[in-house]
Amino acid sequence: MLFLKLAWRNLFRNIRRTLLTVMLISCSLAALIISDGTIAGLVEKMENTIIRTLTGEGQIHHKDFMDDFDSDLMINNPDRVIDGIKTKTDVMDYAPRIMIGGMIASSYNMTGGLIYGVDPERELNVSRIKDALIAGEYLSGADRQILMGKRMAELLEVTLHDRIVLTVAQVGTGETSQELFRLSGILEFGPREMDERFAFINLATAQRLIASEDGVHQIVVRFRDPALAKNREHPLYKSLTHGDIEAISWLDFNPSITSIIQISNFVTIILGGVLFFIVSLGVINSLFMSIYERIHEFGIAKAMGTTPGNIIQLVMLEALIITIVSCLLGGTIGYLSSSWFSVYGLPIGEFEVSGIAIDGSIKTKVLAQQFVLFPTYIVLITLAAALYPALFASRIVPAVALHGLYKGLYNGKCD
Amino acid sequence: MENVIETRDLCRYFGDEDVRVKALDHVSVEITRGEFTAIIGPSGSGKTTLLHLVGGLDNPTAGQVLLSSTNIADMSSAALSDFRRDHIGFVFQAYNLIPVLSASENIDYIMLLQGVAATERQHRVKEMLALVGLEGLGNRRPGHLSGGQQQRVAVARAMASNPDLILADEPTANLDSATGIALLDIMRDLNRNHGMTFVFSTHDQKIMDRAQRLIHLEDGQVVRDKSK
Ligand SMILES: Nc1ncnc2c1ncn2[C@@H]1O[C@H](COP(=O)(O)OP(=O)(O)OP(=O)(O)O)[C@@H](O)[C@H]1O
Ligand SMILES: [Mg+2]
Repeated sequence: MLFLKLAWRNLFRNIRRTLLTVMLISCSLAALIISDGTIAGLVEKMENTIIRTLTGEGQIHHKDFMDDFDSDLMINNPDRVIDGIKTKTDVMDYAPRIMIGGMIASSYNMTGGLIYGVDPERELNVSRIKDALIAGEYLSGADRQILMGKRMAELLEVTLHDRIVLTVAQVGTGETSQELFRLSGILEFGPREMDERFAFINLATAQRLIASEDGVHQIVVRFRDPALAKNREHPLYKSLTHGDIEAISWLDFNPSITSIIQISNFVTIILGGVLFFIVSLGVINSLFMSIYERIHEFGIAKAMGTTPGNIIQLVMLEALIITIVSCLLGGTIGYLSSSWFSVYGLPIGEFEVSGIAIDGSIKTKVLAQQFVLFPTYIVLITLAAALYPALFASRIVPAVALHGLYKGLYNGKCD
Repeated sequence: MENVIETRDLCRYFGDEDVRVKALDHVSVEITRGEFTAIIGPSGSGKTTLLHLVGGLDNPTAGQVLLSSTNIADMSSAALSDFRRDHIGFVFQAYNLIPVLSASENIDYIMLLQGVAATERQHRVKEMLALVGLEGLGNRRPGHLSGGQQQRVAVARAMASNPDLILADEPTANLDSATGIALLDIMRDLNRNHGMTFVFSTHDQKIMDRAQRLIHLEDGQVVRDKSK
């Protein structure tokens, strides 16, 4: 108690220095909380933009299908898979798809593209195809409907209701099959690749076109809680991966985002490391300054029987009080600003991640761990940093400390 | 009379082979209980060095400091801390007090380290403040006390834990003459009425005159030692 009282009062001897140290630590903590929240928000936004646009949170497909989209590699009896999906209450919805490369031609031009056969109703819950519509109408299930990217429409020089002819190879036989469509809608996803190469028709039409009967190429799944999708051990993935069919998380079929997430974790670690380093230097510096000013006092205290252990305790308590106050202040600043940005967003302008435009503002994420983990680290780092000055103070030799004063007095008063 | 402390051939050298300063050179003195002794001598004669060694603030180059036949030169630094806390009271020239503690808390300090019970401590603090004539000023911090008052608090603090010996290194050097003499009279009374042993160093003739015994140092050696 004696040393707690001393430590507390000592902090008010040089209020400016104490405040500066508190500001240094609390601003570092706040910066860490905000930046971690921003990164988490950015990752979430990327996940939202990229995953939920088209690829889905989880996919079920033939294990070799993703290698080169060989249209022969199908899920031949999707009903069994779908029955399996339906037993998983974590799943919000699913959408079966055909994906097939083909020739898309207008009266003026032609291009190769990737043609999706989709169930328009189910896609509403799983992807954002309808949101990307900038002209015309969404699919309704009728034959001859086709949606295509804006750039593809420009390339083919077509407008709504113009004739489009699709030429594809049938599964198994490989015989070509052709059918006439009328452009019913134009899409703009943003990424060049998608707007230039993707076309969408109704699932049943696509199945007939390629003669696949019931077969589909992939079934895209959306979870009720997006976090579940990232759990590779989820029962959905485990139970539906079977034979040639695999069920995987977007973490595995979208490795570029996965690596960005890993990099962003790394950014937090580096930033945290730098801030912690600065904090510990600041703490060491400020404690040493305050110890140097009190050398004589430590000499007196030791002459009276204060042990080296007592002195260590005193300096550590001073550091601990500073840190606790700083963590409360920094946590509050971090919480308030991060909460503000989580509602109003942090304007970041527009940038591209693996060809996909991320724009607008990032809404920071306020996470409990930011207020438990980071302050804990700060306390540990500060105490570790304080050990050095504390040991120094504990080793002050009273005779030397007291001698210093005498010299000082003689110089000041007698010379 | 019982020896409180005894030094045998105590030596303290500073510097290395080339520039060796013999701050103390084979000093053997005995301090008996109840003494009121002044250590005198010119500047640099080794007064401070002797007091520091006797009080266990410094380690001798050679020789012994004996407290009831224990050689404190052999003690570890932790043991020395306890030794100082329990046996020695110190009063230095100035800035004796811990600035963030009030006069009472300063007097309390050593007893707190010793783990004396709260009621006992309160009683002692009051008693000590009265003995040095500072009743009612217990709540003041050192910054709000005059130099003489601060030195009196330092004497009260040294007394409070009932040490065997109080060592005072030029306790009056920073005080004007009248205040210095007043402080010394307080010490003299504590010596007479409470049997406290005092050893102090001084330059001041008027202060020396009040001592019972004068140990005269020159160049680190005792050149004269006489009791009145
Ligand atoms: N830590 C030290 N390092 C080197 N020399 C020292 C040290 N302490 C004391 N000395 C030297 O030892 C000698 C005795 O010093 P000391 O302080 O004991 O003298 P003093 O009698 O107390 O002098 P004063 O009356 O000026 O206080 C001096 O020559 C001094 O310079
Ligand atoms: Mg001296």
